[in-house]
Amino acid sequence: MKPVKVAQGNVLRYNFTERLVHWTAALSYIYLLLSGLAFWTPWMWWVAMMLGGGPVSRAVHPWMGLIFTAAVVYMYRMWLPDMRITPTDLEWRKTIRAYVRNEEEEMHPLQAARGFDRFAPVDRFNLGQKYLFWLMFWAGLTLLATGLVLWFSDYLPWSLRWLRLLSAFLHPVAFLFTVGGFIIHVYMGTAVVRGGFSSVIRGEVSESWARYHHRLWLDRVTGASAAKK
Amino acid sequence: MTNGWTDIANADVVLAMGGNPAENHPVGFRFAMEAKRNRNAKLVVVDPRYQRTAAVSDKFVQIRAGSDVAFLGGLINYALTHNRIQEDYVKLYTNATFLVKEGYAFDETTGLFSGWDKDKKAYTDKSTWAYDIDPKTGFANVDETMQDPRCVFQLMKKFYARYTPAMVSSICGCSPQDLEKAAEIVTSTYLPNKVGTIMYALGWTHHSFSVQLIHAAAMLQLLLGNIGMPGGGLNALRGHSNIQGGTDCGMAYHNICGYIAIQKADQAKFEDYLNAVRPKPLRPGVMNFMANYDRFVVSQYKAYYGKNATQENDFGFNLHPKLPVGAAPGTYQNWSWAYMFDHMYEGQMDGLFSFGMNPVCNGPHSRKAIAALSKLKWLVVAENFETETAAFWSERVLWLNGGKPEDVKTEVFLLPAANFAEKDGSFTNSARWIAWKYKALDPPGDAKPDQEIIARIFLKVRELYQKEGGKYPDPVLALNWWYTSPNKPALEEVAKEINGWAITDVMDEKDPKVVAVKAGDQLGKFLDARADGSTLSGNWLYIGSYTQAGNLTQRRNGADPSGLGRYSEWAFNWPANRRVMYNRCSADATGQPWDPTRADIKWNGNKWIGDVPDYKPDSPPEAGMGAFIMNPEGVARLFVPGQFVEGPWTEHYEPMESPVQNPLHPDGQSSNPAAKPFKTQWDKLGKPDEYPIVATTYRLTEHFHYWTKNNPYNLQEQPEFFVEIPEELAAEKGIKSTQYVRVTSARGSIVGKAMVTRRIKPMTIAGKKVYQIGMPIHWGFFGAGDQEGSIANLVTHSVVDPNSFAPEYKGFLVKLEKA
Amino acid sequence: MAGKVLEIRAMSASSTPAPGIRSAPVVAKLIDTSACIGCKACEVACQEWNDLPPETTVQIGTYQTMPDTTPSFWNLIKFNEHETDDGAFHWLLRKDQCMHCADPGCLKACPAPGAIVQYNNGIVDFQQDNCIGCGYCIAGCPFNVPKMSRQTKKVYKCTLCVDRVSVGLEPACIKACPTNCLTFGTKEVLLQKAKSRVAQLQTAGFLDAAVYDPPGVSGTGVVSILAFGKNPEAYGLPKDPSVSFAVEIWKGPLKWIGNIAIVGGIIGTFVHYLRFGPKHVPEDDKAKQADAGR
Repeated sequence: MKPVKVAQGNVLRYNFTERLVHWTAALSYIYLLLSGLAFWTPWMWWVAMMLGGGPVSRAVHPWMGLIFTAAVVYMYRMWLPDMRITPTDLEWRKTIRAYVRNEEEEMHPLQAARGFDRFAPVDRFNLGQKYLFWLMFWAGLTLLATGLVLWFSDYLPWSLRWLRLLSAFLHPVAFLFTVGGFIIHVYMGTAVVRGGFSSVIRGEVSESWARYHHRLWLDRVTGASAAKK
Repeated sequence: MTNGWTDIANADVVLAMGGNPAENHPVGFRFAMEAKRNRNAKLVVVDPRYQRTAAVSDKFVQIRAGSDVAFLGGLINYALTHNRIQEDYVKLYTNATFLVKEGYAFDETTGLFSGWDKDKKAYTDKSTWAYDIDPKTGFANVDETMQDPRCVFQLMKKFYARYTPAMVSSICGCSPQDLEKAAEIVTSTYLPNKVGTIMYALGWTHHSFSVQLIHAAAMLQLLLGNIGMPGGGLNALRGHSNIQGGTDCGMAYHNICGYIAIQKADQAKFEDYLNAVRPKPLRPGVMNFMANYDRFVVSQYKAYYGKNATQENDFGFNLHPKLPVGAAPGTYQNWSWAYMFDHMYEGQMDGLFSFGMNPVCNGPHSRKAIAALSKLKWLVVAENFETETAAFWSERVLWLNGGKPEDVKTEVFLLPAANFAEKDGSFTNSARWIAWKYKALDPPGDAKPDQEIIARIFLKVRELYQKEGGKYPDPVLALNWWYTSPNKPALEEVAKEINGWAITDVMDEKDPKVVAVKAGDQLGKFLDARADGSTLSGNWLYIGSYTQAGNLTQRRNGADPSGLGRYSEWAFNWPANRRVMYNRCSADATGQPWDPTRADIKWNGNKWIGDVPDYKPDSPPEAGMGAFIMNPEGVARLFVPGQFVEGPWTEHYEPMESPVQNPLHPDGQSSNPAAKPFKTQWDKLGKPDEYPIVATTYRLTEHFHYWTKNNPYNLQEQPEFFVEIPEELAAEKGIKSTQYVRVTSARGSIVGKAMVTRRIKPMTIAGKKVYQIGMPIHWGFFGAGDQEGSIANLVTHSVVDPNSFAPEYKGFLVKLEKA
Repeated sequence: MAGKVLEIRAMSASSTPAPGIRSAPVVAKLIDTSACIGCKACEVACQEWNDLPPETTVQIGTYQTMPDTTPSFWNLIKFNEHETDDGAFHWLLRKDQCMHCADPGCLKACPAPGAIVQYNNGIVDFQQDNCIGCGYCIAGCPFNVPKMSRQTKKVYKCTLCVDRVSVGLEPACIKACPTNCLTFGTKEVLLQKAKSRVAQLQTAGFLDAAVYDPPGVSGTGVVSILAFGKNPEAYGLPKDPSVSFAVEIWKGPLKWIGNIAIVGGIIGTFVHYLRFGPKHVPEDDKAKQADAGR
């Protein structure tokens, strides 16, 4: 395969396919979120009006759902090796409080007292990203399964009505979980981790960014050994 | 109906037997439900199937189709042995006290009455079926104590003693306990303040013993004191909206309008005829209303022939058609339905007008009907739709007989006719209410109302007779066709003519100087009619329906001051707007009602008040005129002195096709001795070893006859022909619901979907396990949906009741197999 | 729409109270199943009044030729065979249709504002103009009533002839019923009537006779008299129907928890940003400083 050219001092973080799949999932999700919110609460019904009205939203929603789940399933195929939770991730998790408070550099006294001098190195994705991935994957499957039941609920025999009820209940529950993940993801990716958003647009990050956020990954892709650090 | 639909709400017990009113008369059935709801009335249903009426019953008993007489016999025996009869009523209003002629006998081993000729296999001498007449007075002798062994009551007790619960169970297939439970409820109405009604329909009339069956029901009601009472009576539920009107107006071959006996070919003079039909009183003081026969016949002739009916020509007696004499001496030809098709098959008919009738489907034995129609020179069908009869010659129908259309020489004319909503006129319902209806919409296309089709054919025929002469053109030329618009007689004018009017001034009979009815005025009451040619009336029974006050059939006053659902100003109720017939029986000997809460009429010292009395309005009760004014006895007949052909009592005879020998006389007569099968190659009867299953036919509430199969809504509700099969029989034959099955009789076979059900249970008849299946009519070849010739009458036979000539559509033998 | 005559008491997916303020007696239909003869007149009367086309059926081994109600067939007589312990056979005929619950599960489950309304007189009506065809009402109904049209993707059911009732007429089925098995009136009066009929049935030997007016949905606008009142399943009716727990949770607590979570999440991220701001990559910072210093 032809190596992709990147700018000097940068590394390729997401190739074109990855970016395309990400944005397929993202845009379809945004549609699902907006139309779903309209169905979720009358406060948001105006959104359905903006999307072409209730019946149109209802008609498009399941098809978007299929696109979204297809993208998620593709991501699963694509990123599964990167998304497995490793012992290093569990190390990293112990310091998550500091991560949330942006205290990676000045180690919190409490953590220092527990013997951590620095963060565990992160591979391609940190544990939070992995959590988001698995959340979206499982919630996506749940939404697909329950969504199919609701899509064809009039075909379901009365004896299977429990399935209809279960779906009507689980679909919004799963939806709420994805909303939580989505909010954090968007916030992290745009506001908190500078460079994240452009990485999924252009695909490149600076080496220093990569070193800072995903050292193990950078080492892996640049061929540098741990000894070099 | 002796009573009326609305009157059923007054009942304490409703016996629905030989009918399925919830299915076939759902609107009238509301009154049975009202009785249940408002009076806690008990509904007893006796039927071969658990059906829609049974679904709301208090007691359901399943019996074998064709065993109704035995069941009623069991009820009669129960009433007699448990002394649950209204004795005062029975003495007053029935012939229970009459003595029967010496020589009358019934042989319990042979099951035959006196007068049977063993060699000819017929009753050749019915003279012993008569009362013991005092030769001096000509009146019948009576025993008021009812103790004389020759009195009707004692003979009846003896006759019905054989109908024990065990015997009834053996014939009907119900348990003895079921009979007794039903009997207890039904006979509970023997008390003067308890009244029960019977609702029956074609389940009783479609047998080879149907008239006797209804006689049995009448006996039961008379013993219980239920005839003439509000909430009582014996109520025939007619099968079409205007079939009562048809019967009233001379539809049957053996009478002319108003149940007037038809003239016979061997009666040369009007007097001969009158002598034969006008009854003589059998008890002192009775009214014997039919002594007025001459008034009604002459008035009818005047309606037919107008000025051409004169004193000199016996008012047209010889213009009117007469019934030809039969082959055997003293007999007359029979032109009832089944006989007519037999004659047709034998080539004795040239043509047939079929108006609103579909003989291929609704007559018995469809294949014989098709074969018979093929022998006609011409056939005129007036219908709303193309019917199986109009297209009997087409390949679609003819394959049933294996013939080819090109071999059928019959010329068929299909005339489009208006349906009921597309013309005005009147309906006479089961309750004898004549109600005017108005046209709702115009007939489509070239469709014409029946009266216009008939009028135009008549005028054309008359024109031909005028031009070309012919054999005896007189009746056609003499007919009084007076209508303002001869091509389209207005039914309003016909209604006026049916009621009749005075041609010249009619004088009062008590005071000949007083004009009772002015010339040109409508007649108001029966005795306004005269035998001297001064009145005309198309049908004496309908006198009072269109008077000087106008067309009373158009009345729609819903007021009910009686509180008994009498609605006296709603439409017009023949006879004489009387809502309950024989209502003199609702009061006791002194003229006071048996039950003051259900008084139909009562004597107030000067006259009878309440409903229109079925009695002389000012005849005091002590005069003892007799409550049954139409009968020369003045009372009702338990014992029938000679009017029925198979005996004075109702005996249970097996249907013509029966799975068993008659358990009452296993070595004697099994089926009706007077019923005779036809002799053509089509008329085959099956034997139980080959055809072991009892079958019956019926209608469904979702359809009306063979007509609604053209309507998608009716088809939605019942799309296909089906066969109702008991679960046990289905299991035996490996048949599952909705699988196709073939039902075969000696006449033909039919294929339909199986409806396996628990609503018909297997029975033990005379120790033998017997299954029963049922099939609805309603399907054929034409109309919407897929029908493929599923005409239930392919398997029925055409043996008829010898009194009424109704075919035995119910209770015949078939075999069943997977199709 | 009968809005001028009938006010709306409850409306699906409404964030504000329904507009009805006039008081109106609650109407009801009483079905005396012990008086039903299964004549199906009500079925066809319903179709004819509502201009619904005939359905195509086949014989399926029973007198009931429609297996179930459909989007264009709202009123079905169900024929159930039932044998009591003493071996007595009964044909239980029951009119199946929308029950017009006082607490309608369909309305509760519906996400489309105004697609399901309940009028002041208690009639629950679907407004197909507002229906989005999601089918949640099908899940919400404890009686299996709403049916979705494959063509229009809208849900339909009995309207209790609201167009007739609003102008003072009785529903079409009531008018067609020949045995007075069906009656129409105010619920209060009908319940009295039902009570006395039940007493009558009990005297006649149906000791378990009862009125079916299930409290789980706060009573229904279609009240049935059952001769075998302890066994409504024999008639094809649920024993103790209620709006499903799942629907209650989903449209109740879950809705609030979810709303709070979403709003809380958004506010939370905002506050987080205010407090902690973005992350800095030290090397980049240094580079930037160097750039700035240059």
